[in-house]
Amino acid sequence: MTLPKKYLKNLCPNRCTTTSRRCLMGLFNTLHIFIIALYALGTVLFLTGIITSNAKLKRIAIWFAVIGFSLNTVDLGLILASDPLALSGGTFYFNILAWSVLAIYFFLWWRLRLEFLAITALPLALLLFVSSMALGGIRVIMPPQLTALFFGLHIGSLVLTLGALMMALGAGFAFIYYNRKLKTKAGLASMGSAVPSLDKFDTVNRWAVAVGFPLYTLGLFSTFFWYWIAPDKHFTWDIMKIGSLAVWFLYAFLFHQRIVLGWRGRKPAILAIWVFVGMCISLIHHTITFRVMP
Amino acid sequence: MNRQIILIGLNHRTASVDIRERFALTDIDNFEQGLMAHCPVLECMALSTCNRVEIIVVAKNNAEREVVDAVIQYWAAICKGKAELLWENTYNYSGLEAVKHVFTVASSLDSMVMGEPQILGQLKDAYRAAVTKGTAKTIVNRLLHKSFSVAKRIRTETAIASSAVSISFAAVELARKIFGDLKGTRAMLVGAGEMAELAATHLLRNGVQDVIIANRTLSRAKELADTLGGEPIQIENMSDRLPEVDIVISSTGSPVAVIKAKDVKAVLKRRKNKPMFFIDIAVPRDIDPDVNILDNVYLYDIDDLKEVVEDNMAQRHEEAAKALTVVDHETETFGNWLHSLNLQPTIVDMVEKTEDVAHRELRKTLKRIGPVDAVTRKALETLVLSVAHKSMHEPICFLKRRTQEEGAAERFIDLARRMFNLDDESIPAEAHLDRKNKTCSSQDISDLIEASKNKEQ
Repeated sequence: MTLPKKYLKNLCPNRCTTTSRRCLMGLFNTLHIFIIALYALGTVLFLTGIITSNAKLKRIAIWFAVIGFSLNTVDLGLILASDPLALSGGTFYFNILAWSVLAIYFFLWWRLRLEFLAITALPLALLLFVSSMALGGIRVIMPPQLTALFFGLHIGSLVLTLGALMMALGAGFAFIYYNRKLKTKAGLASMGSAVPSLDKFDTVNRWAVAVGFPLYTLGLFSTFFWYWIAPDKHFTWDIMKIGSLAVWFLYAFLFHQRIVLGWRGRKPAILAIWVFVGMCISLIHHTITFRVMP
Repeated sequence: MNRQIILIGLNHRTASVDIRERFALTDIDNFEQGLMAHCPVLECMALSTCNRVEIIVVAKNNAEREVVDAVIQYWAAICKGKAELLWENTYNYSGLEAVKHVFTVASSLDSMVMGEPQILGQLKDAYRAAVTKGTAKTIVNRLLHKSFSVAKRIRTETAIASSAVSISFAAVELARKIFGDLKGTRAMLVGAGEMAELAATHLLRNGVQDVIIANRTLSRAKELADTLGGEPIQIENMSDRLPEVDIVISSTGSPVAVIKAKDVKAVLKRRKNKPMFFIDIAVPRDIDPDVNILDNVYLYDIDDLKEVVEDNMAQRHEEAAKALTVVDHETETFGNWLHSLNLQPTIVDMVEKTEDVAHRELRKTLKRIGPVDAVTRKALETLVLSVAHKSMHEPICFLKRRTQEEGAAERFIDLARRMFNLDDESIPAEAHLDRKNKTCSSQDISDLIEASKNKEQ
């Protein structure tokens, strides 16, 4: 079983056709198939486990995800080791996004015993990883001022923010759904015994705001700062920056309400979902913009 | 030697409370030992709870009626009651039916509140007592150990015991769905009714840190606070203390609402929107229903809780169907073990018989060939025993396989015993119609073998 040729081609940033490159591509190809298979199996098993209330299936699914995550880490390492220019490829961004979603999920699993959020983490990781293969053709033309420090501040913090918001998205939907069930007295049986408490879902949301907002601020303003200090570039207001700033204001409002005024429960859950949607729109817009940038 | 498990009992379905009380065995020491002495049973164990009395005995297969009668007579005599009354109110099962019943009881499928785990603990106590008294042996031991594992399997594989089926437990479960771990949460009782006390007890048992008791009469609040280990306050001071508590259980006799939505809204502000769970078990209701509209506030009244309990009960009944499949499967497995227990003596008898034949033939041969040295004698002995054992291998395997088949065990064991004449029964005349009036001796068989050999040569 091999991937279509267009994906194989996309794996090689230099479109190289030498034997050694082919060997490396073969290795990547096999690794990617393994990762996709593990994430897909994990997703299917976890969803089946939820539907059938089978704890064993869910546990197996999580272990598939752990193995997939380990291979994903190896894959990222190999990509960077073989070609540092891969950082400018769409493959890399979506790949690391899938990785960060799972990394944050594992952290929540460890800290809050919140196995349930795999219902969001596993399908998202699968989707992002498969997207990373499909979007291999997208190459981001980097502005010259984007140095290694930029990657650390801008990309790193934004990827982690997005990962945290993805978890907040899952927790937010779960909170709204189960809050409604409790409010309407739908009965304990309809909630399932394995579903965590509303307080846990709210904690995920709180962390996504308390940690995510400073990270997003860092990621966003580091770009503005780089634009400001770069000798050959001038900061100008464009739709991309305005969009990102609009998301930042929404996030700042949520941060203020949550941390200062003590918002909890349904309202911050809804707002976190909107912040996530805003970030996604902004990300898609960025991708399109960078694609056409000279 | 076939053995039969027999179960004689009465429970909440077959007997009224006074009958159950009259024939309870909880305060009777050495009941099992007395039963063993007075009745034709090989093993026994008695379980006595407020809802059921059950006596499990192991007896010889052909003495079922006699055993049931003897046990009932003894039971009635010990409890100074009439045996007729017991006959009217008891049920009895034998064989696999009895096994199935024990598994059903252990898994709490036969309990008044299906899925409640208390019965398993009571069964374990009864078994421990029988082991101490020495009345539980091979079969009862195996049966009880198996029933514990069946109960565990059912609890793991089905959701029979996962849902609360009492008002107070439902309140605890709902609180868990809101707060998760109840450790560190605080509760308040508004009014000191019996039901509120029960709910508070369950909450405290499940991790609630402490409880404030607000009542109109402070003396009653103090009394309850001493029992629960809480803090008593006057009901007038309730509003000041509400921001401190996460769970409020209200059960006053007030005709109007004592907790209003606007008050709770103010409390929520002071609590920085930390969730609150209100349980209103008073009729007429103590808490304004609009409280439930507020974000992060959950209000359940007595009807809501009853509905939760009924839903859970229905869910338990659904799970019971799954559990019964497990019970059926495990009963079948236990039945196979029981059959194999019957097969074991037959195998031993068969092997002993062939060894006996081998030794006899060896003695004859040695007589014929005269004195031999010890090494040769040992070698010949090993040879004949080896031939005897190997010739038994296939029939034993065949029997083991066939006795695993449903309903085939007894037939094949009986056939084997008759084939090898293990019970030393005289062979009926019609058994060999072609050789009427002729007994079959080992000499005849030897002659026949010799003749066939000569013919071949």
